[in-house]
Amino acid sequence: MMKGLLIKDFKLMKGQKNFFFLVVLVSIGMPAFSGDATFMLGFLPFVLSMFTLSTISYDEFDNGNAFLFTLPVSRTGYAVEKYILALLLGGGAWVFATLLAVAFAVIKGTANISEILMAAVLILPALIVIQALMIPFQLKFGSEKGRLALIGAFGLLAVIGVVAVKAAEILGIDLWELIGNLPAMGMGVMITLLLLAAILVLLTSMKISCSIMKGKEF
Amino acid sequence: MLKIEHLKKHYDNFSLDCSLEVRPGCVTGLIGQNGAGKSTSFKAVLGLISSDSGSITILGKDLREFTPKDRENLGVVLSDSGFSGYLTVKDIIPILKNLYKNFDASFFAEQLRRFRLPPDKKIKDFSTGMKAKLKILVAVSHHAKLLILDEPTAGLDVIARDELLELLREFMEQDEERSILISSHISSDLESLCDDIYMIHDGSMILHEDTDVLLSDYALLKVDEDQFAKLDKQFVLRSKKESYGYRCLTDQKQYYMENYPKIVIERGTIDEVITMMIRGQK
Repeated sequence: MMKGLLIKDFKLMKGQKNFFFLVVLVSIGMPAFSGDATFMLGFLPFVLSMFTLSTISYDEFDNGNAFLFTLPVSRTGYAVEKYILALLLGGGAWVFATLLAVAFAVIKGTANISEILMAAVLILPALIVIQALMIPFQLKFGSEKGRLALIGAFGLLAVIGVVAVKAAEILGIDLWELIGNLPAMGMGVMITLLLLAAILVLLTSMKISCSIMKGKEF
Repeated sequence: MLKIEHLKKHYDNFSLDCSLEVRPGCVTGLIGQNGAGKSTSFKAVLGLISSDSGSITILGKDLREFTPKDRENLGVVLSDSGFSGYLTVKDIIPILKNLYKNFDASFFAEQLRRFRLPPDKKIKDFSTGMKAKLKILVAVSHHAKLLILDEPTAGLDVIARDELLELLREFMEQDEERSILISSHISSDLESLCDDIYMIHDGSMILHEDTDVLLSDYALLKVDEDQFAKLDKQFVLRSKKESYGYRCLTDQKQYYMENYPKIVIERGTIDEVITMMIRGQK
């Protein structure tokens, strides 16, 4: 069942392949001009995992879900498949972007490779949490309201980020230095904890999405 | 194959109370006007909407125990839903292959050619007829035991309807245990295909009869005021005032032919029967 649904979603995304390539092109092009290879680390995985949301809109379009659930497809299976798709897209893009950023750094000699890897690893839990937020919103509210909710979620994260950085500035803490100064062991533990927390959020979100789908009428 | 007992669903301005049975090897038709409750009944059977009360047994299982895996034995056409219009026929083949263990790819390919369905065109760009053909083709291509078809012929011309009904007859011929539940508001479709017919009106069943009986024993009596007054009305189901007197629906044509040789008796078509059942007075 999973495989059938995944094939359906990839076939649906085929219709957006131009946009897909544009995103990849931009994320490759930006660092080529600006020299900042870390940009694509965030940009590419986030934007590509958004394609998951567009497959949800496609499924809903023209009441398509009604037919979908007459096929041998369970409601929970459908919800879980969207998470698998998001992780495949986001995860794949993350690996691709990290390799690309490292390649840029090597070619241009601009950035420190360990810094790039550090940034990549720190982005991973954020990527997971954002997907965990996006999917249930989209399933619950559909494409219109779902997108608004999504913008809200991004806004909130941005505000939290800015506040954190400002707070650090006010307190006179250099974040990079702080992270860099963490003992190697401490850093590893922190990232592991962050990842674990993110996965916990993701699993909770999956559970919520399953119950959203179970309650739907078509 | 399918048994619905007092399935109830209540909306603000509509209440459904539906009972029907589809027997093995039979094609059962459900006929009714738009908004009579056909689609609501179908959606409840398919678990797409919840029901307030009543029981549904499908392929020997209570609907609540009917798993997605069991749905491999169903072939479904919904009037207002189908595969995403952004997919092509070529796209849906691997999807079906992975969803249905018994998907018959060679049969599917053969029928695509027969119905001249283009493999590379997006479904949203299909004509109404092509869309309808594809929907039925998808429903019959995985050796289902029961087809549940909601308005599969809606919006089609006579030729396209005949082709589709032919496809359904072929489906039935392959295995005598197979059954179909089909709804339509076009009675001639059902007349030629169905073994028995249910009529639904305003959310409740107003008639259930074998098609043969419906066509042989049901009749319209056209009588003037005088004849109407003398008419034995024990087999009159409904009557309706007309300019010439009364039009009466009976399910005992023979009785009136023998006892009232002078009155005009017309064969009851399904359209006439349903009109009289809805418009006529008891």
